[in-house]
Amino acid sequence: MDRPFEQLGSFRVDASGVMEQFGLPDDAFSPATDDEKASMVEKHKSVSFWRDAWRRFRSNRVSMVALFVFLLCMFFAFIGPMLIPYNYADQYRNSQKLAPFEYSEEERTIKSVEGKCDGWYATAMLPGSLKSIAKGNYVISDKGKNYAFTVTKSISNAILMLDRDAETPLFYVKTKDIAEDGTFDKITPVDYTAKPAADAQPLELQKKLFPHVFGTDSVGRDLMARTMYGARVSIIIGVAAAFIVLIIGSLYGAASGIAGGAVDFVMMRIVELIYSIPEVLIVLLLQVVLKEPLQLWFDAARTPFARAMGDLGAGIVSIFITFALLYWVTMARIVRGQVLQLKQQEYVTAARALGASTPRIIRRHLLPNCVGPLVITTCLQIPSAIFLESFLSFLGLGVSAPMASLGSLCSDALATITLYPYRLICPAVVLTVIVLSLNLVGDGLRDALDPRLKK
Amino acid sequence: MVSYIVKRVLAAIFTLLVIMSVTFFLMNAIPGSPFLTEKSTPEQIARANAKYGLDQPLIVQLGNYIKSYLKGDLGTSLKMQEGTSVNEIIFGQGKFALSIRLGLTALAIAIAVGIPLGCIAAYHRGSRLDGFLRVMTTVGVAIPSFVLATLLLVCFAVKLKVLPVNSGNLPDFKSMVLPVLSLSFYYVCYVAKLMRTSMLDAINQDYMRTAKAKGVRTRWLVLKHALRNSLIPVVTYLGPVTAGIITGSFVVESTFSVPGLGKYFVQCVINRDYPIIMATTVVLSALVIIMNLVVDIAYKIVDPRITLTAKED
Repeated sequence: MDRPFEQLGSFRVDASGVMEQFGLPDDAFSPATDDEKASMVEKHKSVSFWRDAWRRFRSNRVSMVALFVFLLCMFFAFIGPMLIPYNYADQYRNSQKLAPFEYSEEERTIKSVEGKCDGWYATAMLPGSLKSIAKGNYVISDKGKNYAFTVTKSISNAILMLDRDAETPLFYVKTKDIAEDGTFDKITPVDYTAKPAADAQPLELQKKLFPHVFGTDSVGRDLMARTMYGARVSIIIGVAAAFIVLIIGSLYGAASGIAGGAVDFVMMRIVELIYSIPEVLIVLLLQVVLKEPLQLWFDAARTPFARAMGDLGAGIVSIFITFALLYWVTMARIVRGQVLQLKQQEYVTAARALGASTPRIIRRHLLPNCVGPLVITTCLQIPSAIFLESFLSFLGLGVSAPMASLGSLCSDALATITLYPYRLICPAVVLTVIVLSLNLVGDGLRDALDPRLKK
Repeated sequence: MVSYIVKRVLAAIFTLLVIMSVTFFLMNAIPGSPFLTEKSTPEQIARANAKYGLDQPLIVQLGNYIKSYLKGDLGTSLKMQEGTSVNEIIFGQGKFALSIRLGLTALAIAIAVGIPLGCIAAYHRGSRLDGFLRVMTTVGVAIPSFVLATLLLVCFAVKLKVLPVNSGNLPDFKSMVLPVLSLSFYYVCYVAKLMRTSMLDAINQDYMRTAKAKGVRTRWLVLKHALRNSLIPVVTYLGPVTAGIITGSFVVESTFSVPGLGKYFVQCVINRDYPIIMATTVVLSALVIIMNLVVDIAYKIVDPRITLTAKED
């Protein structure tokens, strides 16, 4: 075989001696083929920061479970209200003070009948809002089938009966015919036409057969719907407050760290001052002070922003203001520390020496390296905001009347705590689970994003 | 050391002045007059304003506050107990002493229980005990104090009837148990968590191996070499713990019907009793600030590496 390096006039080093000495094969220095190059790139693919962090996060079982639980809570808070037939603000008739998993008076009647009549399937009884069925043509939707019928006589307080298998007649039992123990011996047939009439209206009665999973409160509002709603309010408050803190704190901290010198000194003294103020005293004052001016502003609201704030209510907006005024200091300190440390790194000096402008250095070098601590602190800020909100709502400040948050639900439960402890326990457990899962996710993020800190 | 302390005390006084001004302007921003009732006429309000100096310019009022505070006079109540001196309300009627007793006991328990728990967990890391403590502390910092307080009240006072429902003036040990437990539980958990992490850090240091190689006994090793070094982050956290316990007492005091300062503060804010709001804010803030000061000085004593003049973040 030719020795490629021995060509006359080649500038390549003559490696034949070396090759013999180390016993290398002849083709040791031949150029790599495209396949080899491709497999080299494939094998040594650079792993991005986020992919790496995600891999570390995934390997942390506790954090993954916590993330899953938090997603369940999000599902509970945001999707849940669409799945249950109750609304957080509606007061359901005859459903006051129900224990968990109970049905209201009317719903209970159905349940007992359903078990007792063999072969017949009681679809539903008239929902609370419908006290009687007027004469006319109707369609009942049940198990994907439509049953059309005509009511020839007006039925009052009746239970509609469907034959589950035969699709034949439809009967009803009058409530007054039902004995104390739920049995009955009189079924009244209803005339029906085979085809739905032109003016048939669907009656989706089945929907109403849903237990009050967390029970109801003293005015008949479904507590599960309220807890879902409250969880949603609490999560939104937590996330929004954390973002306010993120924006103000990181801008302030970055400005202080980058400016350095006297500016940094003054800015940090301000931070120290705010840090040593016992926030909650000021928060309580702010809550009371801001209520009326904010209400005035909402009433005169013209801009969409002001109107959106008005929908949130004075209590929540003043929580945001409080966070914007007092709670950003920790974030500012962390960002400043990070910036100060990064500023002295060699690659920043190198970038500067190569003529990079300050904005470019911030954008390309400082910001991406600050992302880890920013994400961690923001994530841990959410539960602390939820805590503060619930604390204020518990003291009777925070969210106002028609709205509910987890804290205000707990607070509402206090008056009747000895009789109905579940009214406190349900929202409190949801609150605890949300805060717990967020804390654990935050811890996992810290391990994943900042492996230097990992124990 | 002395110059450092002087500097910190001056800074603390400045902070208090800022808090006074902020509170003053916030108070005056609360809409409506403290004397406004359904029956009061404008003349009556004007007369009352003149009597308590509320008709003067704001800056003069603030100056008056500061002047009388320097003399140790916290003013007179406008509404809740009209005409009574605020000093009498806060200190004389035992409100302050009650809050302090509750707060300090809770703080002492947070330290006395939290630190050993953290050490035990770190020392037996990976064991079942450690696992149990980890679950307890992680869940403990996720339970709001008001929930814990209410549940404890229902369990032990209402259902089991072993402890009093109404703790009142905390006359005996029994009445202290529930308020102190619900106030300190969160901080016990927090301190234990912090201590465990910091202790693990210390245990893995090189000097620990050296000491072990030299034949230092295990107990002595943990107590002297590891504990001392791992206390630093915990000491730093004691300032915020104090603030948190004082804040937490608002809820605990109202749950257990303890007539302390925290419960009173919330009522005063709603009633716009200016001198009492101001006095309570200043007294509570001063407490937190003094605690921070003590912690900072203790910090320097625990960790001599930290220079006393420059304050690093």
